[in-house]
Amino acid sequence: MADVEMTKAASDDDWVKIVSEDGYSFLVQRKVANASETMQDMLDTSGNYSEAVSRTCPVQQRGVIVEKLLEYMSFKSYYANAGPKDDIPVGELMDRIPPEIVLELLLAADYQNM
Amino acid sequence: MASAARRGRPKIKPPRRHGPDVSIDKTWADLANNIREIQNHNAPNLSFEENHRYAYNMVLHKQGEKLYNGVTQLVAENLDHLATIHVAPTFPSGSSDQTVQSQEAEMLLKALRYIWDDHTSNMVRLGQILKYMDRVYAKSADVPEIWDAGLNLFLSHIIRTPIKEHLVTAILNQIQFERDGYVVNRSAIRGCVDVFLTLEDSNGLPVYKRDLEPSLLRESQTFYELEGVKLLECCDAPEYLRRVESRFESEDSRTHHYLSRNTASALRQILQDHLLTPHLTTVISMGSSGLDTMIDLNKTNDMARLYRLYIAVPTGLPVLKRALKDSVRRRGDAINQASAGVEGSEAATSKSAQGAQTLTLALKWVREVLDLKDLFDKIWKDAFSCDRELESTLNEAFESFVNSNERASEFISLFIDEHLRRGLKGKTDTEVEAVLDKTITVFRFITEKDVFERYYKSHLAKRLLLGRSVSDDAERGMLAKLKVECGHQFTQKLEGMFNDMKLSQDTMNSYKAHLAKTVVAPKIDISVIVMTSTFWPTSQPIATCALPLEMIQASKSFENFYLSQHSGRRLTWQPSLGNADVRVTFKARNHDLNVSTLALVILLLFEDQGPDEFFTYEEIKQATSIADNELQRHLQSLACAKFKILKKHPPGRDVNPTDSFSFNTDFSSTLQKIKISTVSSKVESGEERKETKDRIDEERRHQTEACIVRIMKDRKHMTHNDLVNEVTRQLATRFQPNPLNIKRRIENLIEREYLQRCDDRKSYNYLA
Repeated sequence: MADVEMTKAASDDDWVKIVSEDGYSFLVQRKVANASETMQDMLDTSGNYSEAVSRTCPVQQRGVIVEKLLEYMSFKSYYANAGPKDDIPVGELMDRIPPEIVLELLLAADYQNM
Repeated sequence: MASAARRGRPKIKPPRRHGPDVSIDKTWADLANNIREIQNHNAPNLSFEENHRYAYNMVLHKQGEKLYNGVTQLVAENLDHLATIHVAPTFPSGSSDQTVQSQEAEMLLKALRYIWDDHTSNMVRLGQILKYMDRVYAKSADVPEIWDAGLNLFLSHIIRTPIKEHLVTAILNQIQFERDGYVVNRSAIRGCVDVFLTLEDSNGLPVYKRDLEPSLLRESQTFYELEGVKLLECCDAPEYLRRVESRFESEDSRTHHYLSRNTASALRQILQDHLLTPHLTTVISMGSSGLDTMIDLNKTNDMARLYRLYIAVPTGLPVLKRALKDSVRRRGDAINQASAGVEGSEAATSKSAQGAQTLTLALKWVREVLDLKDLFDKIWKDAFSCDRELESTLNEAFESFVNSNERASEFISLFIDEHLRRGLKGKTDTEVEAVLDKTITVFRFITEKDVFERYYKSHLAKRLLLGRSVSDDAERGMLAKLKVECGHQFTQKLEGMFNDMKLSQDTMNSYKAHLAKTVVAPKIDISVIVMTSTFWPTSQPIATCALPLEMIQASKSFENFYLSQHSGRRLTWQPSLGNADVRVTFKARNHDLNVSTLALVILLLFEDQGPDEFFTYEEIKQATSIADNELQRHLQSLACAKFKILKKHPPGRDVNPTDSFSFNTDFSSTLQKIKISTVSSKVESGEERKETKDRIDEERRHQTEACIVRIMKDRKHMTHNDLVNEVTRQLATRFQPNPLNIKRRIENLIEREYLQRCDDRKSYNYLA
């Protein structure tokens, strides 16, 4: 399992840029971006759209929403390979979501297909 | 930002509305445009996000159906477009030139592969931007996802008449071309076949299975039917097999490289059914190149190939078995014939010559059988991968021809005798051992082992009595081998003979010690071998003769001694089996002669005779009272063999009752010790053989009876059939009993009240 991780990391390790509607940009590792299927498709080199060429994903959301999305995506990719016995602190993550943005966040997550 | 929002009462803000900023029609127009761009390979200039959002918005605003239908329409249009541009120009021109046809076929296949690749990469891209549609609309509307829709469209717009037919023809053309020995572009075919394998019709049946495979198999069948006939006409058997095998290989590699693995077995079946199976018998029995010739020329590789091919089909092994059996049988019959043929022509020649000839004949027969066995063993090992079934076939064949020679047992025993006799020229122990080992394998084929036992016994007796055995070890080794083959019972009597030899030696030692103590020792030394009558062959009727006085004294002296040691025994003298050393004075010098006992008796008649006196045959017969045939034999060895101790009048090779004999005082030889060997009748004459046969029949009768009684004693009650079967089974190690004879023995036993027939007339009771 560890070996597979290593080889995957080679391409997962490069950095991609996520840009919010209001101009905030975030640099994340590709593996984090892949937590969203929409972003994954967007950056997919076989589809090779302009986003994949520039390695930049525009997201039609406010910066605060994008930040939360990315926080969850990091969390998701970090625990992606957690065993059944590992303790995943989902509760803590939920606590960190401000109620004001949950609906907006929900729509964004649906769009990002994650 | 978050911290600012936390201040005060938390309030859930509604999300920003994605109102239709622009009309749906405008959105679709833009998206459609972009899709066309994608189909024109312009994806890198397009924004994924933008198109994804278009699709997202349309689905969100309940326009999924419009979107879905619009996209499929665009895809269909594109496919038609591709077909017109790329595939249509490559349709075959109808040229009759094979090379042109092949090139055109290749072009067509490549074109198909090209539009397939184009289509699939487009569909991947569309699938990415339309993922939201797949996820939300396709499921609820119960339509296939866009990727599958794309495959269906490809099926209906590309794999259709006439493109489909052209494609199938092209593939078949390429395969045919390759079968004819030309090189084709395998990857082009592979590309097309892969598409056929991927595409499935509405029933989930791959296009490959639906459209290509049936015609492919049909074509192959026709081709190989013709091919089989064609090959038969122009090739000999090894070449035919070579070609067929290479066909198998090439079809296998074909399915491996550019057809489906699943077709492999079907194609193999066609090859087997049409190229191999119909011609099995024809090929194997080809006059100048079939199996027989391969065996003759020792073509191991060809035979191995034949075996490989033949065991692949169910009818192959029986055909091979039959051919092998025939071949062995034919060769065996030739060997039998050779031995029988000479026999017929020898009737005119003299008896002694006949004997020698028959001996060489026997040796030749066994040697040839051994060579044949060696040959087939080698073939079996090298070419037939030690196939068990074939081994039993070979054994059966050998068994059948060996047993069809009714003198097989005698010949084998003679052969062994020849090798175990002392004074073998230039053969080491290990060589002899190897030869005997092989002989055992032939011996195994003999069903009438009791006949062999009889011959072996008499040959062994001669070796032992005349001290001609090469060594005790060799004899015992052979005996051990026979024991392994046939069990303890078979060798019991033979072992008894060895035991007698040993006991006799002990007896002689104590007899000599006894003589040393007595005053009146007989004038001559004698050496006696006491033979237990049941162990030794008594085929010759006891040949008595009138012994001279000295000899009678000597034998009486031993008789008294022996009977004093073992009371209740009876000694019968067998002068015909003994031999004697005698010093004879000729004109020139003295010679020590070693002659048989009977010959000595004859010689002693001439002891007190003048040089010119005669004895007629009748006189000798009266004086010695030796039976006619024995007397003739011994006179012949004294007067007509290499050393002529007696003169015969008139001279000649054969002894007649009208001849007369005188002592040959002029005899001279450089040797001091001379061995006068008796003209041997090692090989049986016809009469003797008949006698042997009678004896064997009698012995079999006893054995059968003993066997029946043994079984019935155990079972008390048995049906007729069971009894016959059991007897046959138990006696099979010795000989093959005839059911009729068994029945006769049973009747005989009923008469003698050992058995009783039950009321049902089908079974018997044992009477204690």
